[in-house]
Amino acid sequence: MENPKIGVYVCNCGTNISKLVDCDQVVQSSLDQPGVTCAKSYKYMCSNPGQELIIKDIQENGLERVVISACSPRMHEPTFRKALAKAGINPYFLEMANIREQCSWVHVDPRAATDKATDLTRGAIRRVVHHEPLEKRFVDMCPATLVIGGGVTGLTAAIELAESGNPVFLVERTGRLGGNIANVDLTAPYLDSARDLIRERITRVRDNPLITVLLEAKVTEVDGYVGNFTIGIAPDHGEPLKVEVGSVIVATGYKPFDATRAKAFGYGTNPNVITSFEFERMLRNGKIVTGQGKPPKYVTIVHCVGSRSEEFNQYCSRVCCMTALKYGQEVKSALPGAYVYDLYIDMHAFGKGCEDFYKSASAIRTIFLMFQKNTAPQLLPAGPKDDCEMFLRVDDKLCGEEIDIPTDLIILMVGMEARDDSAEVARLVNISRDRDGWFIESHPKLDPVATTTDGVYIAGCCQSPKDINESVAQARAASARILAKIAKGRIEVDAVFAEVHQEDCSGCRVCNELCPYSAIEFDFDLKRSHIISAKCKACGACVTACPSSAIKGRHFTDEQIFAQIEGVL
Amino acid sequence: MSGFEPKIVGFLCNWCSYTGADLAGTSRIKYSSNLRVIRTMCSARIDPTFVLKALLEGADGVLICGCHPGDCHYVEGNYKAMRRYPLLKKLLDDFGIENERVQLEWVSASEGRRFAEVVDKLTEQIRELGPCRVRSGLALDMAER
Repeated sequence: MENPKIGVYVCNCGTNISKLVDCDQVVQSSLDQPGVTCAKSYKYMCSNPGQELIIKDIQENGLERVVISACSPRMHEPTFRKALAKAGINPYFLEMANIREQCSWVHVDPRAATDKATDLTRGAIRRVVHHEPLEKRFVDMCPATLVIGGGVTGLTAAIELAESGNPVFLVERTGRLGGNIANVDLTAPYLDSARDLIRERITRVRDNPLITVLLEAKVTEVDGYVGNFTIGIAPDHGEPLKVEVGSVIVATGYKPFDATRAKAFGYGTNPNVITSFEFERMLRNGKIVTGQGKPPKYVTIVHCVGSRSEEFNQYCSRVCCMTALKYGQEVKSALPGAYVYDLYIDMHAFGKGCEDFYKSASAIRTIFLMFQKNTAPQLLPAGPKDDCEMFLRVDDKLCGEEIDIPTDLIILMVGMEARDDSAEVARLVNISRDRDGWFIESHPKLDPVATTTDGVYIAGCCQSPKDINESVAQARAASARILAKIAKGRIEVDAVFAEVHQEDCSGCRVCNELCPYSAIEFDFDLKRSHIISAKCKACGACVTACPSSAIKGRHFTDEQIFAQIEGVL
Repeated sequence: MSGFEPKIVGFLCNWCSYTGADLAGTSRIKYSSNLRVIRTMCSARIDPTFVLKALLEGADGVLICGCHPGDCHYVEGNYKAMRRYPLLKKLLDDFGIENERVQLEWVSASEGRRFAEVVDKLTEQIRELGPCRVRSGLALDMAER
């Protein structure tokens, strides 16, 4: 298309952009660009009136290309593409300039930020001229789902999907279902039994003929794309198998922090120092005893072992504070004469019912002491005359004094950590991890269970520490996302992929081996390569490598990128 | 060279580095405003001609960013970028362009702070090198002919 009419829309984003970037100046300089027939700034382009403004201009002024300078395209590109489609032009006739995340939020000088926003907008204007209409692609949606992990999250997801009539393959690494919760006694803050919760889940999974449970098994291969994955599963015993699924839910959970790393407490050498998980086992066995086999008179609970520390993990593991309060309740109920000391850094009682639970812990006379972050209470031996096994010296911030607490049993509230195999799992399903090893969601607020790989979802603690209700909510959220796709039957996939211009292909086959998805086939009769578009994921590696420039990467063509380079400079 | 504000073009892969740059934004981490970002799906798409084009168009420096090795959204695209990079550097030497003007860095989706540091460091480096003479030199050559 020669000299298409371009409309430029500069979003103020409330004041997120306009407080630093002079949006009117960006509008003015856009009007000087060839092809730009209208340019406007508006409070919120993504709002309904904002979108209506664009739609009206397209329809009334015959705009053929649209540039939106606003937030990251990762945020609202789909929104604006829909607006273009609604106005009756191809949704790919849009280009966004990121002047919020990569401009107004990261700079301080209004002039420099305005210059940068102007340059980025100009780059988008130059680029959009070369945009081509792309047609939507649809693929069939396989209704089966692979759920990796048989904890409460995986079990819940499997139930949701299967009870809606869809097959589920539930793969669990260990020999039993239930995950970490299977090792827990009661749950905070309502003190209902974890065993009952998990047993109900397991029974419903076991009773559902649509759910295939594979224990002691490992996912070894994830091939394909949304709606059409082929999964390789290797059981420890038996033949490897391949299954076809449309979606994958990763619910691999966490591992408890290894308390031997926190050397100050003598865990592993002192039999009276145990972890919260070991204490859960005691509670489930109905017997709280010291290493000497006696019921303890003094029980000390230490918070944040491995969490909120400069030495280990900086994040909060979220569930330990309420679990610690729960231990106070359980100790007092089993051993009414015992003293419970609760040593915390900060008490995080943020969830529903948790503040009440905190109050009730005070009512049963749990003794709270607050210690300084990044310090550890000091373990001291008891003398022969003392009626305790040892002392813990705490610099109590509440009274400002150093206190020696008599102790028979120390419970270390170990935090959560990403599992050792999280890197392997991330690689397998093609998702990313953060610096702590937790899987990264598509958007932290608006898209918490999707990932950057379409059709792959994350739920529960593999994303970051969570309590049971949050994990269950995520499992259901991921299932709902998948059920929506299954209900449609056929799903839209991105129209962006690479294609070989047959007349330019010399048949050198350089591209054949480069494609990580084996999407490029060589026709031995014609001596030319061609790309199977359904397999292509649009990375563009072949486009760059082709010595004849015969491969075109749709929506990321050389012309488009060259024009953008000219524009930003 | 006081007052010289270099123009730097950045080619960022969509999945790691562009997302990391967005994270710097959502985290409100401040860094120098000299970079102009162009998004590609993968660092493997970053054609050496894009870099040369940017320098010819007047960029004083070019930043190439991709996922860390072993963490590419497209399995191994960043290795392709990594292999092209030394060849590109050599080509720049042959053209008489200081090869420090072009920098390859790995920035993951969670490394907003690292992205900001990379941009600040490169900006400083280019500021010290001064303006790139490729464009003006080219104009001179043309005039002499």
